[in-house]
Amino acid sequence: MAQAAEIGAPPARQWRQSTVFLYLRSLFALAIIWSLIALWVGNHVILPQPTSVAYELFRLVISGEMLVHAAVSLWRLVLSYALAALIGIPLGLLMGLWPWASDLLDPVVEILRPISGIAWIPLALFIFGVGNELPIFIITYVALFPFLLNTMAGVRTTDRTLIRAARTMGVDQRTIIRHVMIPSALPQILTGARIAGGAAWMSLVAAELIGAPSGLGFAIEWYRQLLMTPKVIAVIVVISLLGYLTDRLLRWLQRRLTPWSTGIGAGR
Amino acid sequence: MSHPATTGPKLRLDAVRKTFTVPRSGAEVVAVETADLAIEAGEFLTIVGPSGCGKSTILNMLAGLELPTGGTVAMDGRKITGPAAERGMVFQDYALFPWKTVFENIEFGLRYGPHGKGLSTAERRSRVARCVELVGLGGSEQKYPHELSGGMRQRCGIARLVANEPDVLLMDEPFAALDAQTRIILQEELLRIWGETGDRAERRTVVFITHAIDEAVFLSDRVVVMSAHPGRIIEILDVDLPRPRTDATRTRPEFQALSQTIWNLIRDEVYRAATAAGSAGGAGD
Ligand SMILES: Nc1ncnc2c1ncn2[C@@H]1O[C@H](COP(=O)(O)OP(=O)(O)O)[C@@H](O)[C@H]1O
Ligand SMILES: [Mg+2]
Repeated sequence: MAQAAEIGAPPARQWRQSTVFLYLRSLFALAIIWSLIALWVGNHVILPQPTSVAYELFRLVISGEMLVHAAVSLWRLVLSYALAALIGIPLGLLMGLWPWASDLLDPVVEILRPISGIAWIPLALFIFGVGNELPIFIITYVALFPFLLNTMAGVRTTDRTLIRAARTMGVDQRTIIRHVMIPSALPQILTGARIAGGAAWMSLVAAELIGAPSGLGFAIEWYRQLLMTPKVIAVIVVISLLGYLTDRLLRWLQRRLTPWSTGIGAGR
Repeated sequence: MSHPATTGPKLRLDAVRKTFTVPRSGAEVVAVETADLAIEAGEFLTIVGPSGCGKSTILNMLAGLELPTGGTVAMDGRKITGPAAERGMVFQDYALFPWKTVFENIEFGLRYGPHGKGLSTAERRSRVARCVELVGLGGSEQKYPHELSGGMRQRCGIARLVANEPDVLLMDEPFAALDAQTRIILQEELLRIWGETGDRAERRTVVFITHAIDEAVFLSDRVVVMSAHPGRIIEILDVDLPRPRTDATRTRPEFQALSQTIWNLIRDEVYRAATAAGSAGGAGD
């Protein structure tokens, strides 16, 4: 895909058209298979027809209910994501730049990292109860590590020759950090941001299923209890769509912030 | 263009020795063994020798990027203890900042380093613009390095060096990655930028590394020949070819004779290295 984008600027439109086409074609095929399986299952509580899901989706959107759930979820997501970035990026820089910092923090990071965010949900229920705090805590926790680890790795893998080149021009260490090491880490920081975005969406739903009185995850659980499967799936479709759009947004940001980076990450 | 009124050499290596400790095994590698060398102000000096003979190590010590294990490296009689804007460097792999445009790369030293301190933004920009023209990169100022050919990237590297107005220009195999035609063009342009046709007193000191003998002879006032294992200076030769050097220089008998002399000095070692491939760990730069 990166290759296709690189080949020529003029056919960009053509490329986009064909991508849309490919997406629609695949989704259409999926809907047909789904429909056939639903016919075979023959129980609309277990698996409804895609058409009835589309209908419920339409009604949820029209009534404004979907918008309310989506807005609450997005608000939590953006807040936690920003928190994770605000903690993860500086900490990653610190650990990438100074060995004493990584000696101090690395063991903690390595011990916490393998613990899934979901594992904290029961404990978080004790501490925060059902509300905004629990999903915010879980999402921040989950999104923190991609930010931190990618920033750290990005700083550490700065091409040493570039640092040497800067030093032979007589600049000080602060300039080297600001104008060599951080820009050099930027592609990888943005890769971390995309991973964090995906992880944030996944944990958002998990946290809201159990620990929130509102939001998309809550809506899934709510309609499940009411056995309204078409609405459950309608919410899932919206989550998928929003997650996809989030990634597109982050990818756009990546291109905007690192126009010099040709492929994925590599700058030279 | 104020050159310090010292009578001694510009750069001096005094019984310089450099060893590296191999990280895992702890073994000592002697990269440079007791090197003595005096480089005059305004001189174009080239170091040739087979790969792994310690050329880069010597240049890095002159830059202040590495410190000698023994002996001293000095500039204008003062010991070199670290890198400084007075000694600029050009690298084989260009070492341009990928996130900066050609213009911003050339501007880097003046913008963030000590040599641009007294300059206004306008003065700085016009100096950068002059350097862009000097190396023939006009029109490519807003391009990123990845959009340039190898030859243009190294032009940018040279402009970045020259813009910062260092006293000493250190060049580590700057043309080694370029094709033969581009190389010949850049050799001639480098001499022009250095001020070959101008006043001798205006010329900066250049220390240039190459493993190409013809390149060394074509460019230099003097050629230092090194050999490996351990890396040491085996011969220093004067190049008595008239300047400016042109295509005709390459066909002169003195040119051929000197190239042959240098080749004779290092031939055995190059053959040995070529046949015993893999035995010595001198592949990395
Ligand atoms: N940082 C280093 N650590 C260990 N050995 C090194 C290091 N730098 C250079 N060497 C060794 O020192 C010798 C000289 O290297 P170098 O100066 O790069 O040679 P040249 O530039 O002539 O090819 C080689 O054997 C090389 O392996
Ligand atoms: Mg070398």
